Amino acid sequence: MRFQAIQCAVAGALFVSALLAQRNAGPASEANPLGHDPQAVAQGHELYNHNCTVCHGLNGAAGDRGPALGAGRSHVIRTDKALFEAIQNGIPGTAMPPFSLPATDIWKVVAYIRSLRATASDAFVPGDAARGEQIFWGQGRCGNCHMIRGRGGISGPDLSNVGGERTLESIRDSLTKPKQPIPGGYQPVEVVTADGRRLSGIAKNDNNFSLQLLDSHDRLQLFTAGELRQVLYAKQSLMPSNYDRVLKPSEFQDLLAFLSRQVVHKVERRRRSEEDDEQ
Amino acid sequence: MNGYAASLCLAGALLSSAAAQVTYQDLLKADPANWLTYSGSYNSQRHSLLKQINTANARALVPKWIYHVPGAGRLESVPLVVDGVMYLSQPNEVFALDGRTGRLIWQHRREPAMRRGPNRGVAVLGNRVYYTTPDAYLVALDARTGSLLWQSKIAEAKEGYWAPAAPLVLNRKIITGVAPGDYGMNGLLAAFDASTGERLWRWNAIPRPGEPGGDTWAGDSWKTAGGDTWLTGSYDPELNVIYWGIGNPAPDFNGDLRKGDNLYTECMVALDADTGKMKWYFQFTPHDLLDWDAVEIPVLVDAEYQGRRRKLLIQANRNGFYYVLDRVTGQFLHGTPFVHSVNWAKGLTPEGRPILVPGVEPSLQGTKVCPSTSGATNWMSPAYNPDTGLFYVAALEGCGINTKSYEEFRPGGFPFDATGYIESPQEPRQLYVRALELTTGKLVWEFKQIGSRAYGAGLLSTAGGLIFAGCDQGIFTALDARSGKPLWHFNTGQAISASPMTYSFKGRQYVAVEAGSNVIVFGLFEDSEESTFGRTQ
Repeated sequence: MRFQAIQCAVAGALFVSALLAQRNAGPASEANPLGHDPQAVAQGHELYNHNCTVCHGLNGAAGDRGPALGAGRSHVIRTDKALFEAIQNGIPGTAMPPFSLPATDIWKVVAYIRSLRATASDAFVPGDAARGEQIFWGQGRCGNCHMIRGRGGISGPDLSNVGGERTLESIRDSLTKPKQPIPGGYQPVEVVTADGRRLSGIAKNDNNFSLQLLDSHDRLQLFTAGELRQVLYAKQSLMPSNYDRVLKPSEFQDLLAFLSRQVVHKVERRRRSEEDDEQ
Repeated sequence: MNGYAASLCLAGALLSSAAAQVTYQDLLKADPANWLTYSGSYNSQRHSLLKQINTANARALVPKWIYHVPGAGRLESVPLVVDGVMYLSQPNEVFALDGRTGRLIWQHRREPAMRRGPNRGVAVLGNRVYYTTPDAYLVALDARTGSLLWQSKIAEAKEGYWAPAAPLVLNRKIITGVAPGDYGMNGLLAAFDASTGERLWRWNAIPRPGEPGGDTWAGDSWKTAGGDTWLTGSYDPELNVIYWGIGNPAPDFNGDLRKGDNLYTECMVALDADTGKMKWYFQFTPHDLLDWDAVEIPVLVDAEYQGRRRKLLIQANRNGFYYVLDRVTGQFLHGTPFVHSVNWAKGLTPEGRPILVPGVEPSLQGTKVCPSTSGATNWMSPAYNPDTGLFYVAALEGCGINTKSYEEFRPGGFPFDATGYIESPQEPRQLYVRALELTTGKLVWEFKQIGSRAYGAGLLSTAGGLIFAGCDQGIFTALDARSGKPLWHFNTGQAISASPMTYSFKGRQYVAVEAGSNVIVFGLFEDSEESTFGRTQ
């Protein structure tokens, strides 16, 4: 009840401001004319904090009255044009009011919201991607463990779409920071079988009663609890975290440029639980 | 590639229990511990030599695990098992599961995905898993991780094509078919290189004017003719010939503009596996007006026929007749109805052509036709047990009321069937499991699935003397293969529309069936203590 009252008050106040605002016909273009320009994003951030945080939360992270626009969730409104229209005209039937901002300012806010959701492929990553590819398959030896478009190893995650599903920051962290979270299905493990054999690899899955191992020879091995004497989980992923040290800065940047451009299909970052609910 | 293969061989020598990659020799041998192809073996007999589960102990079957496929409606695929790893599919998705525990090893999801179903299963060769998609691609995945390796277009999705059938893997090549003939899409079979995905040959189910068979289509009717290939065929490695059933002509229920026999719809075709050239065809229902796709699984049996050992091809056809053909020549040997409700034909000529009953065809006011368009059987796989010499089929008795109209073909994937049918309220469908004498088609026993008035599941035969059958009521039943007597049943809780399969791993036999959105795996009850891991972090 209280929540509804606040909603009405906020919506009502903004309705008045909306009446005063000059109503535009809509955006002139489908895509944001300002693109991903860093300056537009910065100015959009300021405008956002001024106009939007009261409902959508600081930095788009969480909101009491409106959805968190940047957090990992399924976004109903995805395109530049749809975001522009939602800001300009409001969303009928919800607490989202129209805003009387100049079109350029709306585009700046759109640029900022998009930057919150951006994967590495959206970011402008300088560097020579072709040289980065050589490093991936060559001195970086990334291809020993990772596959891209059907080529490479299988003991690490497939990176064919890494630029489309992870942020630049998280790719950089994976390459440089130790003790990153180990993705599901890549937990390094060593097992001792009931008959005394010792095998190492990664646990594709495990629970109290069984373990599914991809061994160091890239072969699937299936065990029930009774068939294993011991299971040892490594605390750290097999992924090296010193690429910023073993590569020259320019080489590291080239590798980042290559990885950020690996896109098969672009997906919005989403929480796993929400994804399951939608099926 | 050679170096990689060599290192795998070395690993194999070091670890004898490790899962091996599938070779063509494995596919030929069809080791009963594994289930490597849609129909279990190239001859599609769906008869497993496993007999740990048998007539004496079937009543001790218990569910071992259930895997729920998120988002699945009605699963219709047949899982494959390679050394304990189960590969399971639904449209756009493939799952690798631990065959003893049902635990997920990996999951592949095709994106962006066109929604269309069903998917009928995957194929395996080497370290690859292959499947076909709602947008008519053949996709190769790494069998150990589900990583996408390559994809090859089979046909144009924007024209309306899609691909539901499990691919057929031969030596170094993959054969795929397409759907839907009901949309006026002309059928085809295509072969792809198993390593690279390169297309090797294509066989068109509908001949053009001037080609042999082209004169069986009036006017331009060949252009939107149907004849799709939506179930998996069989293979005779000795003859190097694949056998594939071809679907109905379009528009389904109105043949006025497609006068003629409409080759090669409603045919069994025999193609050279290397070239895709047709060796012979046999047409079950010339100028079909009732949507009786002849895609039902061709079962290859070498058996005594009239005093001579022959290579036979058996098909229980949707039109209600059971056919015995010589698969070397395509010669018709024998045909007889396997359902009582057949009113459209008085019988078959010595050449196997139906002797039509005049007037039993779709009409503006509706005509009663038996069997109904659902068919006397359908995608539900049959089975053959060499020990009993019996052919087992999921048979549907019943009639339909068929009407016709006039319809323009619309490009882009729209129904082109010129109206349809309803099941006759007077003669409602009834599902049976029937055991027929192989060469005569004579009924030996039947098991009535009481309460089942819709498509059921396919059948599995085992050397344990069992037939496994399912129905739309969700009941999964083990029958005595010699008598049809039920020995065990389990209520899965969801309609069963897929064919069961069996495998063994580390000395234990399992039977798997998809029921609704779940795959359920059964094995014999084991009176053993629970153990959990002693873990060291």
